[in-house]
Amino acid sequence: MSERARVAVRWSVIGVLVAISCVLPYVLGSYYVSLLSIALIAAILASSINVLAGNVGLVSLGHAGIAAASGYGLAWAFRQGWDLWGQLGMALLMTLVASVLYGLISMRTRGISFLMVTLAAGMIVYGMAYRWSSVTGGTNGLPGIRRPDGIAAYWEFYFLVLFAFLVVTVALVIVGRSSFGLTLKGIRDSETRMVSLGYNVPAYKFGAMLISGAVAGIAGVLAVWHSEFISPVSAGFQESAMSMIMVALGGIGTVLGPLVGAVLVVLFQHVLSSVFERWQTLLGVLFILSVIFAPQGIVGGVSDLVRRIRRGAARPEVLVADFRPTPQHRSKIRKDKR
Amino acid sequence: MSGVFFLQQLLNGLSFGALLFLIASGFTLIFGLMRISNLAHGAFYLVGAYTAVVTVGVTHNFWLGLGAGALAAAIVGFGLERGLLRRVRGREMPEVLLTVGVLFVVADLVLWIFGGDPKSVNSGNGAPSGALVIGDFTYPQYRLFIIGVTLVLGTALFLAQRYSKFGAIVRAGVDNREAASALGINIDRVFTWVFVVGAALAGVAGAIGSGLLSLSPTSGTEMLLYAMVVVIVGGLGSITGAAVGAVLIGLIDAFTKVLFPEFAYFTIFAPMGLILVFRPQGLFGRVA
Repeated sequence: MSERARVAVRWSVIGVLVAISCVLPYVLGSYYVSLLSIALIAAILASSINVLAGNVGLVSLGHAGIAAASGYGLAWAFRQGWDLWGQLGMALLMTLVASVLYGLISMRTRGISFLMVTLAAGMIVYGMAYRWSSVTGGTNGLPGIRRPDGIAAYWEFYFLVLFAFLVVTVALVIVGRSSFGLTLKGIRDSETRMVSLGYNVPAYKFGAMLISGAVAGIAGVLAVWHSEFISPVSAGFQESAMSMIMVALGGIGTVLGPLVGAVLVVLFQHVLSSVFERWQTLLGVLFILSVIFAPQGIVGGVSDLVRRIRRGAARPEVLVADFRPTPQHRSKIRKDKR
Repeated sequence: MSGVFFLQQLLNGLSFGALLFLIASGFTLIFGLMRISNLAHGAFYLVGAYTAVVTVGVTHNFWLGLGAGALAAAIVGFGLERGLLRRVRGREMPEVLLTVGVLFVVADLVLWIFGGDPKSVNSGNGAPSGALVIGDFTYPQYRLFIIGVTLVLGTALFLAQRYSKFGAIVRAGVDNREAASALGINIDRVFTWVFVVGAALAGVAGAIGSGLLSLSPTSGTEMLLYAMVVVIVGGLGSITGAAVGAVLIGLIDAFTKVLFPEFAYFTIFAPMGLILVFRPQGLFGRVA
């Protein structure tokens, strides 16, 4: 297959997928459309983790905190009786505050330290949501947040979520291919080298965190609009870990990984759970197995397989991020040129 | 703040700090040697705590419960290290992700077996209970007992690391893994033993902690977070750092819970944030 034909195939597949997802709400019942919305929102949050994990090699265990901060901003402003722009402005402000906080305390860390620091940052948000009850409503959270007119119906909301997901995905692909994104990949592969080349590595990590935080903030607003409610649980460890599992299951650094992981986890959480109560155990076991046997995740593994079948026929198209970003493993990074 | 009240809060802080040290020391020990942050440490706490609750419920003997908790956690630790971690050795991110998965599974299994309602070890049963009364001053003996146990275990740990041959081997492994194995030390076996000791410490913490704090399937994550904060403040891999960090966080926790109840959680994480910005390696950590 020539390069041109392959590009054509890829775009037609994307086109068909988008078309199908536009038709789905006319075919499925409201419950399933709402499940799709949940999966897409989860995929947006997972994308915000993926942009850091895939480009900079930083795996976060605290991104639910940023989403929750944004959600709390929206919910609080709604309860104050502010109009839509006021609410969104408040959500934006809270997202910015949270992202700056995350960025400041994490920009000098990498690897495991980054993971622990983001986990702790998430717990700061959780702790504030839980204890500062005069503003956040404590354990009860803030209920009764209504969606604005125009997206009030479940299918209207689904289209908004779908649109947001597409915009975020395209934007993150563009970021990944920009010179900023390439610098981030350089930092992922060898931080020392980028430092000696004169790059201000902490500043780049800070910038990446702001981009990732903005995406998480979008997910936070959509999540509150979906459930019309927010509580400290949404900032908790469970939530962050679940999003991280989605990314790792789907495939770190792949474009479709977050979506695949999110759909899988949401299926476990909402469909399997009605049949088998211990879905979480099953998900955990599946995750453990995938870490051991398929460290590139589902999308990474499948595209690897496709590549192996087609070996010699064409150049690989998916950039698979290396799972071991430390320099001593660099020799094992697969080169994407033959 | 009266003198008696102040002393009580001081002891509250110290006893909670003592519990934190038991968890954090195992965590930091494993990190120091194996360079992984073992998030399954929270699972060890859960295993130790629930085993102790069950054992004490059956035998009415606190010390049996303590031993059983430590043993159960050690066995789970052994299984995790030999069965799973060994397969991804040397790749730090998969190692950590694996432990996240294990924490997930264990917390869910505990929820399945024991339900979500808070449990606790019945007081008495051979453990110190009741209150210590000196004039105006009353204080629960159990909390003093925790401080005592931790002092004994902490001293033993310190002496073992400083003076025993195994301690010397572990320190050698921390300093230079390759050189240690080149000298004929089976570093894999050392890994396993350190992992088992760390897990047993978390099991002891679980057994003791379930008499102090309420125990539920989410306790594992909560204690893990406290341990992480302690270790980040004290410096990853340093036992001294874990001790100082644990006392510091314990005291901050005890006093802010009384003084600023609304921000109790925040005040624990704020010092950690400051440490990360100004001294990323922690108070006693070495620059990597």
